[in-house]
Amino acid sequence: MSHSAAHAHEAPTSTGIDHKKLIMWLFLASDCMFFGTLISTHLLYRKLYPTGFTDAEGHQQFVQKLFDIELTSFSTFILLMSSFLMALAVSAMHKGGQLKSFRRNVLGVIVFGLIFLGCQVYEFTHFYHQGLTVQNSVFGSTFYVLTGTHGTHVAIGVLWLVLLYFYSFTGKLGGHVGALDVEVAGLYWHFVDIVWIIIFTAVYLVEYLGPDGIWGNGLPPVPGVTR
Amino acid sequence: MSHDHHHAPVASRYDLAPERSDIGLIRPDRFTGWRDWLTTVDHKKIGVLYGAFAMFFFLVGGVEALGIRTQLSRPDNDFITARMYNQLFTMHGTTMIFLGVMPLSAAFFNFLVPLQIGARDVAFPRLNAFSLWTFVFGAFVLNASWLFEFAHLSGWLKSFGWYNALVYTDFAPANGWFSYAPLSGTFGQADAALRAPRFTGVGTDFWIIGIQILGIASLAASFNFICTILNMRAKGMTMMRLPVFTWMTLVTSFLIILAFPAITVALIQLMFDRQFGANFFNPSAGGQPVLWQHLFWIFGHPEVYILVLPAMGIVSEVLPTFSGKSLFGYPIIVFSGAVIGFLGFAVWSHHMFTTGLGPVPTAAFSLLTMAIAVPTGVKIFNWLGTIWGGRVRFTPPMVLSLGFIWMFMCGGFSGIMHSSAPADSQQQDSYFVIAHFHYVLLGGVLLGLMSGLYFWFPKIFGRMPKASVAYWASGLVILGFNLAFGPMHYLGLAGQPRRTHTYHAGFGWETWNYVATIGAFILGIGVFIAFANLVWTAFRGEKCSSDPWDGRTLEWSLPSPVPEYNFARSPVIACRDAFFAHKHGAHRLVYEQDGGEAGVHMPSQSWMPLLASCGFLLAGLGMPMSAMGVPHAGWVVIAGLGVLFLGIWLWALEGPGGYMLKTPVAPAPAPAEAAASR
Ligand code: HEM
Ligand SMILES: [Cu+2]
Repeated sequence: MSHSAAHAHEAPTSTGIDHKKLIMWLFLASDCMFFGTLISTHLLYRKLYPTGFTDAEGHQQFVQKLFDIELTSFSTFILLMSSFLMALAVSAMHKGGQLKSFRRNVLGVIVFGLIFLGCQVYEFTHFYHQGLTVQNSVFGSTFYVLTGTHGTHVAIGVLWLVLLYFYSFTGKLGGHVGALDVEVAGLYWHFVDIVWIIIFTAVYLVEYLGPDGIWGNGLPPVPGVTR
Repeated sequence: MSHDHHHAPVASRYDLAPERSDIGLIRPDRFTGWRDWLTTVDHKKIGVLYGAFAMFFFLVGGVEALGIRTQLSRPDNDFITARMYNQLFTMHGTTMIFLGVMPLSAAFFNFLVPLQIGARDVAFPRLNAFSLWTFVFGAFVLNASWLFEFAHLSGWLKSFGWYNALVYTDFAPANGWFSYAPLSGTFGQADAALRAPRFTGVGTDFWIIGIQILGIASLAASFNFICTILNMRAKGMTMMRLPVFTWMTLVTSFLIILAFPAITVALIQLMFDRQFGANFFNPSAGGQPVLWQHLFWIFGHPEVYILVLPAMGIVSEVLPTFSGKSLFGYPIIVFSGAVIGFLGFAVWSHHMFTTGLGPVPTAAFSLLTMAIAVPTGVKIFNWLGTIWGGRVRFTPPMVLSLGFIWMFMCGGFSGIMHSSAPADSQQQDSYFVIAHFHYVLLGGVLLGLMSGLYFWFPKIFGRMPKASVAYWASGLVILGFNLAFGPMHYLGLAGQPRRTHTYHAGFGWETWNYVATIGAFILGIGVFIAFANLVWTAFRGEKCSSDPWDGRTLEWSLPSPVPEYNFARSPVIACRDAFFAHKHGAHRLVYEQDGGEAGVHMPSQSWMPLLASCGFLLAGLGMPMSAMGVPHAGWVVIAGLGVLFLGIWLWALEGPGGYMLKTPVAPAPAPAEAAASR
């Protein structure tokens, strides 16, 4: 048996799946439950309190008016595209470690991720000025904590990719292990992206189903008037 | 690739030349003594550390319990204050569950799983060390609340400005082990400092962050064990040949990774309520405290199976060994364990019958709870079938395992009783429930774990615990336990409420409370003797052979104590209970041609897991301290997160390292024999 074949990380595994990839899948399974709990909390409270929230001046505010669906659609699109670039970065590594192509694509992912985060920061400040805070309503609490937790996941992903990007200049990112490391980061990134698609649907889009959103707004309908 | 492995194989890690990691630091591979323990990545040493800490915390939790029982020994007692009483039962429950049972189970996972599947380590050795230290620091953060409480009671904090500005001065958690909102939460409007008025002091904050850190430790360990079990089995070790203990480890780990996120989120939400004035559970702003109950029990019921399944795994190893028979109905036992794990996610609301769920959910959860008793009962019958007709040897582990079956069954019967919602509405929050879950947790789980300790101790240390002492201790534990908790069934049905620091004379509760307290002290003495016997054995006990019980699974095929590389050559498995078959049956164990002069790959030791965990220590202490208003404590939190990041970053950069260790091998089996086994 040759020297390197005896190394734990290169020994064949019982399932044929690399340890690192398997543990990432397990983490993601766990993270599903994590986001599942956060999203359920948000939806339960939306159903319970369809009327939005009350701002600092005591005015009733409606969620549909608050959201800027164009902006959020844009940032969703950007995040989707970043997943596309991530897939290209992974495949560059699998094709025998094409580091140049890897770096180009990963840089794209990082930039797109930052744009997404920028949109979120903008959105948060915008909502804050509209009067939505963590403190003034249940909606504010669930919305900020859910989307903020997702944002934290994106930020950790960006940090990870930045570190991988610089690591690729040390010459140590290569071979099977290098491709695996990038692929595992990619799994994480795609997952965070998919979670966003779900959040975008469950938190944003459903507010636009029908004139008053899926939850209604708790007010009696006025014929011919959309609020 | 594998740039750093071109050293020649060495006979001992102390023969290694000093090797620098990828970040230029010398790898701590050649340490002895305490630095070796702090940097170790050996699953066996990590298991021993888990076990040592768990036994220590069992004793802490036990002292807390005796404080509770002393207070309740007679009516209108004032041995301790009502507030101290609340803190004691909260910390007792939390300590026993998160710092006693779970880490002791983790000790067995660590020590046994790689040995039972024929592997040389876990899938991620450094992550394993990280889990251990994160658990240790989480436990410390939780118990640091006691240090503040004592400082407060002794009046040492009077000179601090922040102390004098506090509204509440309860420093140790006092909300019960499930910290129900709104008591644990907030009410009213948050002020400019983002602080909503609260019902409790910083004890709750210690509890929140402590449990959060312990959860991270459990999650990391579980990812690791699932990977190890699925991926690192020896050749021929198919899933249906896995020892039952390993199977139960797998199911438990899946329960942890799927159930803990619910409590993680709930804790985050509660923390946001308390620190940033959010409204998740704030009733005056529309928050629903009952949501906390749901989230807690979605975690909490799987948690009780997280506690019991490992003990069931242990019992499933002990009974066949001492009955001289293979486990009766292995596939059914495994399948029942998996079904219990699965159904465990569908019964949480049986803890909430009295909240008024409505008739349909109540009926559904009631039925599902009854259903989950079926696989549990199936297991009991399989264990009985295992003993049936066997040549039973009543060794200490066997006595404890039989105690497990008996006590656990009693707990199961009262469990079935409160699966019926109308009955439960009488029993809930009474001493009856205390009796129920102590029969499953103490009579069940603790006896099971003690059985495991007495069973595997000779393997871990190569020394045999004194049987005479063990019999006495087991007798005292079982006797004291039944004296303490048997009467609580009656007390509960007679109306004594749980979590109440005293009671008046004249309800007819006096005698049985007194008996229960005497029983509790007998139990405490029994557990103490049982543990003292073990600790003494670890250092001084009589040396014993490597297979003193005529064991069945692979760990018994190894020398005791087990060498750091575990298997000199990797085993190839041809059937269940491979080592037993090797000794008495048709299939002899054969080995691969690895190891020997070429060596086996050993992971390098590292400081980084410990460093990263230290980040949790700082952040965990800083958070409640900033809630207390201690100046600059917020910076401690930030420093903690910085240390955590630094630890993980250096961990990634230092590279896994590793070296080749020569193993002593017997003359290789004939090639024909080895080939035939492939
Ligand atoms: C036959 C199986 C079991 C059934 C049917 C069952 C049923 C129940 C029910 C319905 C309750 C709620 C009682 C109430 O609050 O009024 C309960 C409480 C509890 N059970 Fe079980 N149980 C079973 C096994 C277990 C096991 C295996 C454990 C742990 C090892 C366990 C630990 C607990 C704990 C800790 C509580 C108390 C929670 C509290 O503080 O209120 N149970 N059980
Ligand atoms: Cu339950």
